[in-house]
Amino acid sequence: MEKTEIIEKLTSVFQEVFSDNCLVLNDEMTANDVEKWDSLTHMLMISTVEEQFGVKFKLKELNKLKKVGDIVEILHDKLSA
Amino acid sequence: MKYTFYSQVLNPVLQSIEKYPDRNAFCIDEKFYTYSDFSKRISAIYSSLEKHSTTKQQVGLVINDDLDTYASIFALWLKGLCYVPLHPGWPLDRCEEICSQVGLSLILDSSSKTRYTGQEVLMTSSVEDLSAQLTYTSNVDEDDLAYILFTSGSTGKPKGVQLMRKNVAAFMDSFWQTGIEINEEDRCLQAFDLSFDVSVQSYLVALTRGACVFTIPHGQVKYVYASGLIEDHGITFGAMAPSMLRYLQPYFDEMDATSLKACILTAEACPVNLMEEWYNCATNTEIYDFYGPTEATIYCTYYKLTRGGNNKSLNGIISIGRPLANCIGLILDEAGNELPTGEKGEFCVAGDQVTKGYWDNPEKNESSFFYKEVNGERIRFYHTGDLCYKDEDGDIMYSGRLDHQAKIQGFRVELGEIEFHAREFLKKNAVCIAFDNEKCLTEIAMFIESTEFNAEDLLAYMRTKMPSYMIPTRLFFIPVFPLNSNDKTDKVKLKGMIK
Repeated sequence: MEKTEIIEKLTSVFQEVFSDNCLVLNDEMTANDVEKWDSLTHMLMISTVEEQFGVKFKLKELNKLKKVGDIVEILHDKLSA
Repeated sequence: MKYTFYSQVLNPVLQSIEKYPDRNAFCIDEKFYTYSDFSKRISAIYSSLEKHSTTKQQVGLVINDDLDTYASIFALWLKGLCYVPLHPGWPLDRCEEICSQVGLSLILDSSSKTRYTGQEVLMTSSVEDLSAQLTYTSNVDEDDLAYILFTSGSTGKPKGVQLMRKNVAAFMDSFWQTGIEINEEDRCLQAFDLSFDVSVQSYLVALTRGACVFTIPHGQVKYVYASGLIEDHGITFGAMAPSMLRYLQPYFDEMDATSLKACILTAEACPVNLMEEWYNCATNTEIYDFYGPTEATIYCTYYKLTRGGNNKSLNGIISIGRPLANCIGLILDEAGNELPTGEKGEFCVAGDQVTKGYWDNPEKNESSFFYKEVNGERIRFYHTGDLCYKDEDGDIMYSGRLDHQAKIQGFRVELGEIEFHAREFLKKNAVCIAFDNEKCLTEIAMFIESTEFNAEDLLAYMRTKMPSYMIPTRLFFIPVFPLNSNDKTDKVKLKGMIK
């Protein structure tokens, strides 16, 4: 899957989970930048991403996901493998 | 007095600074700071406090996750002052409400820019280290305050719990009497906001023993970051909320928590099933369940679990054990009489850890505290609002909040009991909330932490366990329960979903 396609799909997941239809993603975005991004919504976001992209994250991988760019990167790796 | 704030808190931290200048005191956002670094920041902030003639003991502290914020706490304490946490993530309105309630005239802020305009603000990150000498103001009374924490009031206005120096001293003395041992080799987790009192235990236990405190930066996802700290840094000791472990539960089989020697579960009821699974993951740990309201300084009872043992529980919730050394805990009926073994009543607590009361709140102080004669002595007690009983061994079994009871068709119903049966059957988390319907009849709503499924089997099972009036009349499926700022299941939010 191309990165642009990943970002597009990820944007709709974020908009839904963080209930913000105007949310625009960028690589540097972290939990500090999104009001509703906490433990609960993080878990929901991860499970929605897993479901929508048909992937499964290990805890060690979750540990490395500090910003949106990291999520795009790991999805790109997983989906082109 | 056998313990003082100086002997239990200040002197041990000063000793750690003297004995271990080159050992790490903190790891904050992946950066290490030694006891010497810590000491220099305390000293710099202490010196600049000299220039501010505070007439008041209470000083606001913006609780950022950085060295200067922790150093500010000790600078204030060495100076005989007390801190009032102001969270940078809270709405300014709430912080200003706190400032005006306690009449703060000075605020310490380590941010690069402050949002406070109505008070004198000491920007701690820009003060320079001058003398690098730590001095201690010794003419401080043990009844003087150490910190004031604001908890949400049921009326909507936050109420300030005032903790005295002697409360914290008594707590530390109680804590070490549980047998938990920490030394300079330990790496301790600090997973709580500084606005929540378990944070005080988390940094004090480490700093008074020369150990290293590992914090969780604001804006990080707590459970993920904590698991990273445990694995990457080999955390040996930490207090956590059961909710944090529940989030990590799906990953237990791939998680390495073998470094943990001791682990405290606190802040909410501790489910026995979750602990059994956690034992399998944290293979070297001792688990302790600690219980206590902010009003009795962090914890007032504890229960040590046994690996593979028959741990005492009620409705799937681990016993809260026995009172700490400096606490007196009694189970009382509504008239204030002590109840016999096995009978449920309100758990009431007394002793040196109990707060002097809420800040400027005479009505609440009148209703929350009372005097009772015990062994010929008149003692002041705090109403915890928790429903408990003592078993034959004297262990206290936690049965939920007094207000977690409901009267359904005249029957007294423990919502915890219904939750227990649902959890047993589903192996999923369930929370019951009583609410008044449009006909002003009390109904029970049950929230199940799951995607939607056909609940016929569950209801049929529950009907075999409980009388019909205890069967929930409304079911809600929530994939993941919302948490409040203290990482407890947010029952207020759940209740709001009932329409």
